[in-house]
Amino acid sequence: MKREMVLTVNGEEHDVEIEPNRLLLEALRDDVGLTGTKEGCSIGVCGACSVIVDGRLVSACLTLAAACEGKKIETIEGLAEDGELHPLQRAFVQYGGFQCGICTPGQIMAAKALLDHNPNPTTDEVKEWMSANLCRCTGYYKILESVMAVVEGKVDEGRRDEAVRQARIQSLYQSDTYKSDTSD
Amino acid sequence: MRAKFEYYAPTSLDEACALLREHEGDAKLLAGGTALVMWLRMGLLSPGYVIDLENVPGLDGITYDPAGGLRIGAGVKHRDLELCPEVREHYPLLRETFYKVAQPRIRLMATVGGNLSHGDPMTDPGASFMALDAEVTLRSSRGERTLSVEEFFVDYYETALEPDEILTAIHVPPPAGRVWSHIKFTPRSEEDFATVGVAVTLAGENSRCDDVRIALNSVGPTIFRARAAEDALRGRDLSPARIEEAGAAAADASDPIEDVRGSSDYKRELTAVFVRRALEQAAARLG
Repeated sequence: MKREMVLTVNGEEHDVEIEPNRLLLEALRDDVGLTGTKEGCSIGVCGACSVIVDGRLVSACLTLAAACEGKKIETIEGLAEDGELHPLQRAFVQYGGFQCGICTPGQIMAAKALLDHNPNPTTDEVKEWMSANLCRCTGYYKILESVMAVVEGKVDEGRRDEAVRQARIQSLYQSDTYKSDTSD
Repeated sequence: MRAKFEYYAPTSLDEACALLREHEGDAKLLAGGTALVMWLRMGLLSPGYVIDLENVPGLDGITYDPAGGLRIGAGVKHRDLELCPEVREHYPLLRETFYKVAQPRIRLMATVGGNLSHGDPMTDPGASFMALDAEVTLRSSRGERTLSVEEFFVDYYETALEPDEILTAIHVPPPAGRVWSHIKFTPRSEEDFATVGVAVTLAGENSRCDDVRIALNSVGPTIFRARAAEDALRGRDLSPARIEEAGAAAADASDPIEDVRGSSDYKRELTAVFVRRALEQAAARLG
């Protein structure tokens, strides 16, 4: 039976009337009308539907909307403030952190969840964390560059300085995770 | 087609037990949701009632003391267990195992009790808990009982949980100086389910084995202990020939299904290889 509830998304309260079997993903997209959160694999693997609920990163495709009543839900639509993009959004634009874009909201929300808890992660910590978000355009290095640009406060250096960019790519290649990934 | 259900979010364990008893056989418990919600979506389950345990107090928390061991609330998330300093220090096998489960976001959602209660033979934690001789506490309106993790796994996706019971905690005895090893073989991608999973704990000195526990996942209808393999080693010298023999005994005890990860024969062969390697790794850690 449908029930009325309030979902608090990006600080705004939304009255919805939904079945208890409604997924958070469906409620966000179809009831609240925020379609930035994407559906990819539908089984929690790909990360396209990543959102933050009460400070924790979750797959909206495996979360019941009813379980989010009274909680603080953050989606990609809530990042920009007064028309100004969030540093992560600016970094993804500046560093080419996306190609087709369908995984991007999830990538950025995942990165935000990491930086909210750990503003200074190492490259390897970022790689491990972001391994939960797939990109079928294989833009992983640019995604990593984008997130590290925020960590290092270099968002607006962007791609304009090719020497800076090349140095960054070299340092990412040399990290331990990359070595262990390729040693097998 | 996804079934419709009524949703409850009880705020005490007694209330949760009462709801489960009232709707016995037609209710499913929801914890992290990574297994249950997926199965609901796929239409593999169609309960009339879903009882969310998130607001039930007492299911969280990890506590350790040297005499009593480790107590893990059933609602503890995989990620929190993985990052717990006491777990890292005293139960490196658990740290290693939980680090290898799926990927960080799933580990943030999935609970330790939910994983065990799902009874999925492909998942990793059960084997390591078995190798550590862990127990689970089950609670219902009728009372509380304790079972070893080994007794808890009954068959393919079937556990010893009665329809009115809730797994509330996992207890792991003190580590008692045992060495360990863990192998999760994932040839497709790192976050995949194991093709073969092996957890070993070993007590002994030099190369003598006083006691050993070998538990396997992904190669049978349940996660199980390879007892014949253990018997081949207990009280003996860990010679290469004995270790080889133990690997073969574990392969004999396995009963893997054929799937996208390989044929039954292939997985049985792998079982012998990875049990041997896990034993070699554990033996190398003996003082």
